[in-house]
Amino acid sequence: MVRLVFWRLARTGLAVWALASAVFLLSHRDASAALLLAAPTAFDLGATHTAATPAQQLAAQRAVQQRLGLDRPLFYLSRNANPRIGRVQWHWNGRRNQYHRWAAGLLHGDWGTSFRTGQAVPARLRAALAYTLPLTGAAAVLAVLAALALAQRLAAAPWWQQPLRVLLTAVHALPLFVVALALLLVFANPEVVAWFPAYGLDQSPEVEASAWGHLATYLLHLVLPVAALTLTAMPELALQLDAALARELRTGYATTARAKGLAEPAVIRHHALRNALLPTIAQVTELLPALVAGAVVVEVVFALPGMGRLLAEAAAARDYPVLVGGVLLTGAARLLALLLADLLYFWADPRIRWQS
Amino acid sequence: MAILTFAPLSWAQKLALLWLGLVVLAAGLAPVLPLPYRPGVPDLAHLAQAPFGPGRHWLGTDPQGRDVLSVLVFGARTAMLLTLPAAVMAGLLGAAAGGAAGYWGNTTRLAAPWWLLGVGSTWWALRLPVPLLGLVVAALGLGLTLATRLYRRPVPAWPVPINAVVMGAATTLDTIPRLVLVVALAASTAVSQPVLLALLTLTSWPYPARLVRAQMLRVRALPFIEAARAAGVPAGQIWLRHALPQALQPLRTTLPLSIAGLLALESTLSFLGIGLPPDVASWGRLLATAREEPTAWWIFLFPSILLIISMLSLNALGRQRRILG
Repeated sequence: MVRLVFWRLARTGLAVWALASAVFLLSHRDASAALLLAAPTAFDLGATHTAATPAQQLAAQRAVQQRLGLDRPLFYLSRNANPRIGRVQWHWNGRRNQYHRWAAGLLHGDWGTSFRTGQAVPARLRAALAYTLPLTGAAAVLAVLAALALAQRLAAAPWWQQPLRVLLTAVHALPLFVVALALLLVFANPEVVAWFPAYGLDQSPEVEASAWGHLATYLLHLVLPVAALTLTAMPELALQLDAALARELRTGYATTARAKGLAEPAVIRHHALRNALLPTIAQVTELLPALVAGAVVVEVVFALPGMGRLLAEAAAARDYPVLVGGVLLTGAARLLALLLADLLYFWADPRIRWQS
Repeated sequence: MAILTFAPLSWAQKLALLWLGLVVLAAGLAPVLPLPYRPGVPDLAHLAQAPFGPGRHWLGTDPQGRDVLSVLVFGARTAMLLTLPAAVMAGLLGAAAGGAAGYWGNTTRLAAPWWLLGVGSTWWALRLPVPLLGLVVAALGLGLTLATRLYRRPVPAWPVPINAVVMGAATTLDTIPRLVLVVALAASTAVSQPVLLALLTLTSWPYPARLVRAQMLRVRALPFIEAARAAGVPAGQIWLRHALPQALQPLRTTLPLSIAGLLALESTLSFLGIGLPPDVASWGRLLATAREEPTAWWIFLFPSILLIISMLSLNALGRQRRILG
């Protein structure tokens, strides 16, 4: 068991590293765009007192390049066209390259600094996670609880079983951004009902507000995003669990339990549910990387300064260290999810426990 | 043959097919339809105008003065031209990779001359130092292959880990959510329609690959494959003609679902403003402008209705087939 888990973690760890490397190499291949976007901050300083000559501009550009570490070659090997011979040549760059510097820094715990703000990447990620984790965590917990409750009620075959199944399937087909936008336009719109604020969580709050006031505004801001996330995550879980429960209720042990005289809810709760939970565990742990990556869409729609918006903005602004850091963090969450899934299987299924 | 028989369609599926046919027809005929306005041309005299107002804007205009109806029609064209080829190409790529991984596993062996040929031609194609050396190695491999064909001598063979390579690549792509991966990669490259198509294909092939691999593991052990082997059919031909058509069964049901997923992904990307350039008409981008003008219900309502009905139709097609087949 331990060996199996260890090998799976090792394989996934390798995959995370490969993916982060691929994103790093692909993004830094196009470093000129990052330079252009990062350069104005440097030019603003110089342009105020001297009219920049081309030579000065070039020097300033070099300085930015050096500051961002983009002056080095990208990888150990580079392939450049040699116009003199008229064909491409391979060149060995040694350890003075961007990839080596990034990898070595990462092994020493240095995630790099943001191109745009000059802050350390972990600080930015941490600030974004402080907004994202409560939001997505609350949505995940709510979705799982709602799915559990709904699936148990559905399994008892009430008259509304079929209509609710159709409704869940329909909601499952909706893209997240349509749901979020609909909620925004209905519940945060002065034209319809403005029960909830549409944006403004990251703006500095009023000074006179008490701690309870802060908490109240915070919660009020979170209602619509959490509702949107829950609505889109719940149907899949509920439908899957419902199907698994229906399968388990047709088995022999469920019939035995009924023959003993147990009521249907007791059969569902104490006999069928635990066996039906196994596929759901995999689904729930799939949610964890999505939790960390944040719901990009929801954070953009409701203007929350979370992880998803940070990644989307870093992508638009070519802020590569933040982008690669986000990919690595999401991959780490995936590793954790795998570990958690194995532990949960271990808990839920005695057969797995006895085999090891 | 199983592939040519179709389960009878339910009325919901017929409706779904009718709707999707309409969308595809409108998308295909978009350039010749008698629309009063072009999608990219703003009508500055009528900004954010309600439907059926003056100026022949039947479905109103958005805050930039673009005609909603023509954006919808041309947005359908954009969506169709992106999602349909991406779904088909991802399916084909996944079928080839997953089918090979499932059929041959890690144990298949390739004779040493073929290895020489492959390494030599890669060396030459990449222009590593002294490309002529690569050509020499490749020629040596080719010569040895021909020689072994003529003299029928056993040659050493090394295993090719196809399964490990394919599954490793799939795991690598699956480690982070697809939307985040596409956002991260779309940032790094200048995105045009073909590049976005390639990006969508490259990030969506692992799922069909897993399905086909699982099915292939089952098909491989069936008696007719054994019979073909006993009859002396070459391995490549068994794979292509006999095993692969059977292993493709699960893709038939998941293709509509895959298109639905890609449609959601494409409209989400353009809603976020990532991916396609701003002058390309798309439903997601139109929906994004609804945030600037909360009073303009028509900007939100029409594209979201189109999107929702299309998604429901695709889901109905995929779901019903799965139950019946």
